[in-house]
Amino acid sequence: MLEIENLHVSAQGKEILKGLNLVIRKGEVHAIMGPNGSGKSTLSYTLAGREGYEITAGRILYRGEDLTSLAPEERAAKGMFLALQYPVEIPGVTTMNFLKAALNAQRRARGETEFDALSVLRLVRETAGALNIPEEMLRRALNVGFSGGEKKRLEILQMALFKPSLAILDETDSGLDIDALKLVADGVNRLRAPDRAMLVITHYQRLLNYIVPDRVHVMAQGCIVAEGGRELAQELEARGYAGFVKDAA
Amino acid sequence: MSSRPAENLLPKSFNPEPGVAARSGWLEERRARALQAFRARGIPHRRMEEWKYSDLRNALDAEPGDSGEVISSGLHDPFAAIAGPRLVIRDGNPDERPAGLPENIEILDLAEIDENAPLWVSRCLGSALKSGMGEASLALMQGGVAIRVARGTSAVLHLRFVQSVESVHARVLIEVDEGASLLLFESLGGMRGVTNLGVEILLRPNAQVRHVRLADSAPGAVIVEEVGVAVARDARYQAHLPQAGARLSRVELAVKLEGEGAEAALDGAGVLAGRLHADVTTHIEHAAGRTASKQLFKYIVGGHSRAVYQGRISVHKGADGSDSRQTAKAILAGERAEADLKPELEILADDVKCAHGAAVGDLDADSLFYLRARGIPEAEARELLVRAFLEETVAGITDENIRSTVWHFIENRLPEALDEAA
Repeated sequence: MLEIENLHVSAQGKEILKGLNLVIRKGEVHAIMGPNGSGKSTLSYTLAGREGYEITAGRILYRGEDLTSLAPEERAAKGMFLALQYPVEIPGVTTMNFLKAALNAQRRARGETEFDALSVLRLVRETAGALNIPEEMLRRALNVGFSGGEKKRLEILQMALFKPSLAILDETDSGLDIDALKLVADGVNRLRAPDRAMLVITHYQRLLNYIVPDRVHVMAQGCIVAEGGRELAQELEARGYAGFVKDAA
Repeated sequence: MSSRPAENLLPKSFNPEPGVAARSGWLEERRARALQAFRARGIPHRRMEEWKYSDLRNALDAEPGDSGEVISSGLHDPFAAIAGPRLVIRDGNPDERPAGLPENIEILDLAEIDENAPLWVSRCLGSALKSGMGEASLALMQGGVAIRVARGTSAVLHLRFVQSVESVHARVLIEVDEGASLLLFESLGGMRGVTNLGVEILLRPNAQVRHVRLADSAPGAVIVEEVGVAVARDARYQAHLPQAGARLSRVELAVKLEGEGAEAALDGAGVLAGRLHADVTTHIEHAAGRTASKQLFKYIVGGHSRAVYQGRISVHKGADGSDSRQTAKAILAGERAEADLKPELEILADDVKCAHGAAVGDLDADSLFYLRARGIPEAEARELLVRAFLEETVAGITDENIRSTVWHFIENRLPEALDEAA
């Protein structure tokens, strides 16, 4: 599904990713853990195609296709989804209108027929119910005045609506209390599927108690410095990042 | 190349044939004084601080050619969807009294008034507008109209300005008496030459005015409109002033909150494409306690256009407990676009709340990325954000009919303004 080979990425003239390798197969859930400043967010922004992140070497293959020259919207239409650590507040755009615009833009790009307003409404209502997202929230401006938990739930709602092949969850656990965390993790677990891969990026092991990964990678100073099964997350929790960072240096 | 007119020499458009015959001594005298004052200052130009970003002299000097097409035809009434009696004012002169206008609304042709003019006209004309261009519109006026809404009356009136000659100077005087309310739709249709309009609106205690102005002009037109508003105790003046621009377009509002509890709320979105100019200059005086003012102006500036907002707020001594809020923002959509936003505060009272902000920038990069990462193509994402940015200016218009009319006026101009960004 995703193959990252020797990826070097610079942002604002500074090299942040320094030869990162990662392979994720269909149906797998991988976790990347790492301390602040290790390059986790740079990786997720680079995968999603954000401007300002320059690939200086290496390549990213998504379903066998080099992503490098694709715009963020093209990647989204091809089934890539990035749940952001800080979902953006957009006053003046209602959540419902945004969801409709995004759903239909993706369908248009794939040559599928667009949904009419009623179908979107029905689809969104059904999906939102399971995530405990009240209808009133969908009428409000996108993320404006939403609590941290509401914002993250809305990210998962989008993931459920867009049905991506590859979902990247960037610090989805940050700022959530335990109830909100469980709700979000439940939402994610329901979306685990044989034809869908997930990359869960997190600072803490806590989230991985609820979203149990197939593989865990430790990131430090712009590379993967260790990898293993789910037990690696517990080891990290016990030893801390310090040992791994030293190994990389 | 002709040489630039000297400071005290007025261009042709400011030397019109005498329009209003002198029928009343007081009016002639007032106009003579205004002319003297105006001549002393001359046509405003960029070396005058208040006209720094809107060089009227230069705009008048420019060749009148390339007036281009009016975006929506001058014959089209932008308020077509809104019912109400319509008073057409041609080259400054009002047509017949419109049918359906309630009896308790007086309408007088300023060209007809004489020594026996009602006191409300002779006393008020020129009282609320004392700026340089306001003096010019009085001194050179080719015509005008005085309107009075009687005590306790609630009225709707459209004022539709049309112009067939190269330059028009005209005056409007509106008095809204105690407890009365007026919904005023002002449209300037298909302006092509030079228009200099002076409007005075006097709100007596507890009066309400909602003033919606749409100016639809050729890109080559020069439009200056000065609006002087006096707001008495517990009265409220609201204005919606969307801007479509012209070669030079300036709306200058001088609002004086004269009585306790008086309020003013001004808003407008401007969308400029090509080589247009739009200037909203406001001066709000809080002259009494517990007065409130609120302003919100937002621009999308495309191409080589220029947007200007100058907002001066003066809180007079003794105007304690006043509250003034002012926001002006511009997004530059064209590489050669320019926005000049200048808020100014002058506070001489205590316990006053003043909040003001001005910002020129681009669309928020995080928002743009967020929308694109969810599959919305860049152009569509930009348009979505631009609409959201502008929509705030109409969000407070509770009347659905008015809101959609104002919104369409802005929206129609968006594709062109954004296209040049590409």
